Amino acid sequence: MNRREFLKSAAVTGIGLTISNNLDSFIKMSEASEKVDLAVARGSSPSKITRAAIDAMGGIKKFISKGDIVVVKPNIGWDRLPEQAANTNPEVVATIVQLCYEAGAKKVKVFDRPVNDPRRCYVQSGIYDAAKAVGAEVSYIDDRKFKETMINGIALKTWPLYTEVLDADKVINVPIAKHHSLSTLTMAMKNWMGVMGGSRRQIHQKLNESLVDLCMVIKPTLTVLDAVRILTANGPQGGDLRDVKKLDTVIVGVDQVAVDSFGATLFGLKGSDLGCVEIGDGAGLGKMDLSKLKIKKISV
Amino acid sequence: MQNLRRISQGIFFLLFLFLFLQTESKGHDELGYPVKLFLDFDPLIFITTILSAHAVAVAFYLSIILIAITIIFGRVFCGWACPLGTLNNIIGYLKRFSPDTTVRDWYRLKYYILIFLIVSSVFTLQLVGIMDPLSLLIRSFSISVYPLFNYGIRAVFDAIYNLNFKGIVDLSEAIYSGLKKSVLSFEQPLFNQSAFIGIIFLIVLGLNLSEKRFWCRYLCPLGALLGLFSRYSLLKRSVSEGCTSCSSCASVCQGNALPDKGEKWRNSECFYCWNCDDICPQNAVSFGFVKKKSVSIDLGRRMVLTSMLSGIITVPLLRSTPLSLSGFSDSTLIRPPGSLEEKEFLKRCVKCGECMKVCITNGLQPTLFEAGIEGIWSPVLIPRIGYCEFRCTLCGQVCPTGAIKQLPLKEKTKVKIGLAMIDKGTCLPYAHATPCIVCEEVCPTLKKAIWFEQATVKNRQGKETIIKQPRVDLELCIGCGICETKCPVLGQPAIYIISVGESRSKENQLLL
Repeated sequence: MNRREFLKSAAVTGIGLTISNNLDSFIKMSEASEKVDLAVARGSSPSKITRAAIDAMGGIKKFISKGDIVVVKPNIGWDRLPEQAANTNPEVVATIVQLCYEAGAKKVKVFDRPVNDPRRCYVQSGIYDAAKAVGAEVSYIDDRKFKETMINGIALKTWPLYTEVLDADKVINVPIAKHHSLSTLTMAMKNWMGVMGGSRRQIHQKLNESLVDLCMVIKPTLTVLDAVRILTANGPQGGDLRDVKKLDTVIVGVDQVAVDSFGATLFGLKGSDLGCVEIGDGAGLGKMDLSKLKIKKISV
Repeated sequence: MQNLRRISQGIFFLLFLFLFLQTESKGHDELGYPVKLFLDFDPLIFITTILSAHAVAVAFYLSIILIAITIIFGRVFCGWACPLGTLNNIIGYLKRFSPDTTVRDWYRLKYYILIFLIVSSVFTLQLVGIMDPLSLLIRSFSISVYPLFNYGIRAVFDAIYNLNFKGIVDLSEAIYSGLKKSVLSFEQPLFNQSAFIGIIFLIVLGLNLSEKRFWCRYLCPLGALLGLFSRYSLLKRSVSEGCTSCSSCASVCQGNALPDKGEKWRNSECFYCWNCDDICPQNAVSFGFVKKKSVSIDLGRRMVLTSMLSGIITVPLLRSTPLSLSGFSDSTLIRPPGSLEEKEFLKRCVKCGECMKVCITNGLQPTLFEAGIEGIWSPVLIPRIGYCEFRCTLCGQVCPTGAIKQLPLKEKTKVKIGLAMIDKGTCLPYAHATPCIVCEEVCPTLKKAIWFEQATVKNRQGKETIIKQPRVDLELCIGCGICETKCPVLGQPAIYIISVGESRSKENQLLL
């Protein structure tokens, strides 16, 4: 049994057990205290669980102020349909845009640098229409807006990053949880590849280190991990519906390492199974030990 | 009448431009406009495709309408509608021709070209696209004019953007984004041979300075075909007794139709532009449905025979090349998905460039001699420039002759256009024990055609590391080329596509 098959079967057979077992203990802990590190909402409506999870974190107003220019960064990397779980769920994205406007944001921008043709990715993912409908400024990447940025990390010294992210008042990371053959999984931390300019494919040579470096520079106000559907094999673009698992879940947190660490449990893995999470924890980027986090679980 | 004609020319030209601009993806599966409409109305392509391939796209029956119009009204298409004719018309105005300029009497030439093209198509050689005016215009626009236009506009706005004067940049960016939404392409189109095809187009336009409507008068094979039908047209020109033979009409005639020679007026050469009627000081010219005999055009038996023979000889001349051997054919000749088997493909492809214009990644490029002289300017996928987008079916949708079949999405994703091969000498995990999974990551087949073998290798210090080395599952690979496009080994890629294994061919196969 190779790793992919293992992942797949683990995800298919183990998920239900893993989540409910782990969560119950987490919830008991979280109920004891006010401050929540991660909010995990489950329910059939992507929009409702997104709202509920952000509310559990203290409400959107805790994160977005009046007049803010907000960047909402989903994963729109592939020319795939929402049910194929290669891109962030459009309803989750639209709900976050709406929440930002409700909190008084001046402008909400949505974009990504896709791997496939940008037009097809934006339209076929459903994100273009969904985000536009609630007033977001959905734009394609403009190559002139990349700026060589100091990173001074383990693997990356400088890299061209997208200025709209660097210049925004607030940034919300909205990845989807998927299988990936090199990083095992791709979730919050890896989502920042979408604002890298230049020949970003080279970072695969030191992927985990590069992702940590990137996350040291881009620190989102909030991270919303979409696990409405997760992709358990043939990621990150998938295509086969048999590789998709419907979990009807979103995970919200501020600490990206924690979010990814929790995300790993959705696939029957631990945070320490992911290189970027482990290195991120060691570098002080965030905490991967879920037992030390306050996790609030909500059913909607 | 002149103004009416100009309005008509303007409307058709704008329609042409509009459809041209719409020949671009907006992210949906379909374009939403009949972008190949002008080609559908082209009877020259209709006739030669029937002759060469014994088959024709349904939409082409529209071209019968154009034949019917020509039989009733004469070559009104040339004078009132043809977008290339309109361009020639406009360029002609750049030079003032003195009334006594002697005009060449080469009008027969285009009939010889027509005969050549039709006879060679009888013998299955489809060369019409090289000279068909609509193919020529769309090809020139797609490959050369539009990329040039985009380059120019972008250069100007980029320069202003980089100057970084606050107020001016806001204004220029507002204009720029407006242009992007309307007339600019999504990304700068880049084509091999854009200069070459552009120069040919400039020559065609430049000939108007030598003699107005040079192309339409002497070279255009579609004009010749319509001229043949025009001879029988019902709408005829008459000159009344009032004519003083002042020859005013001769200098304004667009088509070299000898309007001042009374009954010797050449019906087949008239574009029905009405200039002679408009200018006549005696008001002696009129057009009407009258019964009278047209002057027949004498092409000369010897010359007709010569052009027929040339048409026949050209077939073996172009075809006796080793390229037809399956082992020798160019393995980089990767045809778009849905393309017919090579011989059938070449019988239909009219080199119009629609598929290259619409190709979402810019990967479809015009050939030079990869497919022989016969296949010049036919589409070839060059994955280093752009790959074939897995869920895109646009090239098949815009092909006017069915050289590229229109495939439903489900079928398209199963069509092999080639196979990926790995170069172990340059591939990072093989040659340099460096992790890289880009080809596998981007591989779009539902079960990925690229898989990994875990290999244990030693580094310089003798320490063992595990590395994933990519392998290609040739059964699953469809040759879309995204692995080659995205391979980080620039220049000579470590994974590349060859046409071997393409679904359309029986011979060009690798696996049992």
